[in-house]
Amino acid sequence: MGIMDKKKAIKLSADLAIASARKGTTYWSRAIIAKATAENNDCSRIIVENILGPERAERLEKASKLSAVRYNNRLLRSRKILKKCHNVRRALRKNVPRRVVAANSIAKRMVEKRTQVLKGLVPGGEFMDEVSLIEETLDYLVSLRAQVDVMRCLACATDLVNGKYEGKKKLAIVKRRVCGLLLLFG
Amino acid sequence: MGMGDKDKFELENKSEDPMNYSPDMSSDWRFGGSNLTNTSVGLISVGNSMSVSKGDLVGSSCSSASMVDSFGPTIWEHPTNSQSLSFCDISVPNNSNTLSTLGMRKGTPASWRSGIDRALDMCWNPQNSMSKRAARFSCFNGGNFNDMVNPFAVPESMGLYSRGAGMMPGAQDILAGNGMKSASGVQSQKNELNAGEALKDASLTVEHGATDGSLLRNERKSESLVKSHDEAKQGVGNGGSGNESDEAEFSGGGQEEPSMLEGPGGAPSTKGLGSKKRKRNGQDTDLDQPKGASQHPGESAKDNTEQKGDQNHSTGTNKATGKHSKQGSQASDQPKEEYIHVRARRGQATNSHSLAERVRREKISERMKFLQDLVPGCSKVTGKAVMLDEIINYVQSLQRQVEFLSMKLATVNPRLDFNIEGLLAKDVNPSVTCWSFIYASIFPDMPMAYPSLHPSQQGLIQAGIPGMGSSSDVLRRTLSSQLTPLTVGFKEPTQLPNVWEDELNNVVQMSYGTSAPPPPNSHDADVSLPAGHMKVEL
Repeated sequence: MGIMDKKKAIKLSADLAIASARKGTTYWSRAIIAKATAENNDCSRIIVENILGPERAERLEKASKLSAVRYNNRLLRSRKILKKCHNVRRALRKNVPRRVVAANSIAKRMVEKRTQVLKGLVPGGEFMDEVSLIEETLDYLVSLRAQVDVMRCLACATDLVNGKYEGKKKLAIVKRRVCGLLLLFG
Repeated sequence: MGMGDKDKFELENKSEDPMNYSPDMSSDWRFGGSNLTNTSVGLISVGNSMSVSKGDLVGSSCSSASMVDSFGPTIWEHPTNSQSLSFCDISVPNNSNTLSTLGMRKGTPASWRSGIDRALDMCWNPQNSMSKRAARFSCFNGGNFNDMVNPFAVPESMGLYSRGAGMMPGAQDILAGNGMKSASGVQSQKNELNAGEALKDASLTVEHGATDGSLLRNERKSESLVKSHDEAKQGVGNGGSGNESDEAEFSGGGQEEPSMLEGPGGAPSTKGLGSKKRKRNGQDTDLDQPKGASQHPGESAKDNTEQKGDQNHSTGTNKATGKHSKQGSQASDQPKEEYIHVRARRGQATNSHSLAERVRREKISERMKFLQDLVPGCSKVTGKAVMLDEIINYVQSLQRQVEFLSMKLATVNPRLDFNIEGLLAKDVNPSVTCWSFIYASIFPDMPMAYPSLHPSQQGLIQAGIPGMGSSSDVLRRTLSSQLTPLTVGFKEPTQLPNVWEDELNNVVQMSYGTSAPPPPNSHDADVSLPAGHMKVEL
């Protein structure tokens, strides 16, 4: 197995793990599982089965496929454009100075652009509205942080195992890491 | 310094092409590596060529470990400096506009702040101290992690995140968050209310700037007028009782407004307008009430369609809304209705569309506040766009860290194979949720370590071990005979449980000089738990 394959496998398993922690209650977890089960190569199937457990894997697969419905984007976009026009015209009618209207629309556009980017970042985010997007981001952020922490500790562990550190440096690092882990997990 | 450069690079990237947020891993890491440590060679080699020998990669991973170490604590200290500076520059012309659009649009200028401050400080329970709350929230109930259905449980736990300062960044937060989640699953509504209190506490204590204050006050004021199911979770009781005294103070304090108009650089026109509204608002809440009553039929249809999602979450808390929401609006005595009662403020459109929009906007700003607590360095940032920028940065950086760490783990482990037959072997206990598939590959000399493992040790084991040859066959046999698979209710993000167990046992023995190994059970359970869900298992 090449390095990149290994890396993909590790990353996939890590993502699946944090997704399965949510047990299908959040959009992003379902999206991750749906994406993983959609791939047809052996590696992902094995990982999915082993991480999710065989009977739960099928259950979650079904749930995630159902929820990843792509509704009509064009309809949404046309509605948003209409709303924008309405708001602009309403503001103009109320004798709000044009530069304020323009500034408002600029601010809105900025926010929209960033929302689009965020939707691309959070898995399964393209199908959510703003409110749930922020909630999902919250949840995803927490899980990501946990993931990074644990992976970092494990990387340190493998370094220890491989004998990267010697002597008292090893002890110091181990102490630090162990304390950190114990703090992390209570 | 190096961090600052890296962030400036990101910033430039963004400013040149604001839509180009795609994480270009190799180039970013190359840049970051050269700035951060003197192991740029190693990093570039990792990034560029995949066919490097093991020795090179191990060397690079050693150096990159130090970089990784420096990530956590420091990465967000520098960005706050550089980014906040640059974003201040960018957003100064927009600052007033965003404020006027977001903050002042709600018709609540910053001058309400002091009035509401006093009222709220009075009305909050002094005996509900932080320690009590923390103790209550940190009780772990073992089997209750299936109850994390309510997505609002997530925001509620945010209130405790701000208290987790001083510990490891992820540690206390996640700890408290877990406690919150488990507790809320058990003690549903009462807990949620207290969590709401905690939230409000935290959000108040966290905010420093005037602009933050203005947004918070907007929220307070809006809570008095917006009766929704969300209120049950946000401690509407406290907010409600506070608002009664609020309104009394307003009419008294109406004369002081000119002296209090010192808010953040909002447009003076909007402030003046807002102050007029405020004065009249204090006296016109009585007028509002009959108007509110007549609005219900009109709003109900619109709100019903808009708030369906909330209803699904909130029907369970209907009764709580009825019980715990005191005072002010007589809409509170209709807890059975499943839509949101919104009262229009004086001087604002009573169109159902705009009301629903206002509710939506307020919800969004609440969530943004929670995110503010989560994302480091965001307490002083205001405005949706800048906050979203910070959030995007943070998520991107976390994802890049995951990629980097997974790459590092991949390089450190020499062999990783997927032997399908091995994994689907008969001795797989279907109830086992296992997650390791490479640990056998790492340690050809593992059989020596195995006798040290308890047969009763609750490990996170790979029931089907990838076949690697003769050594791994031996491993597999010994493993399946010695380790008992157990049902584990949680998953792990990575694949090295055995390594960790062994090494941890040995090393901790070394460092603490005790003959008895530390309880391997707790270690295993602890170590392998990702912080997001904790099931105490011994």
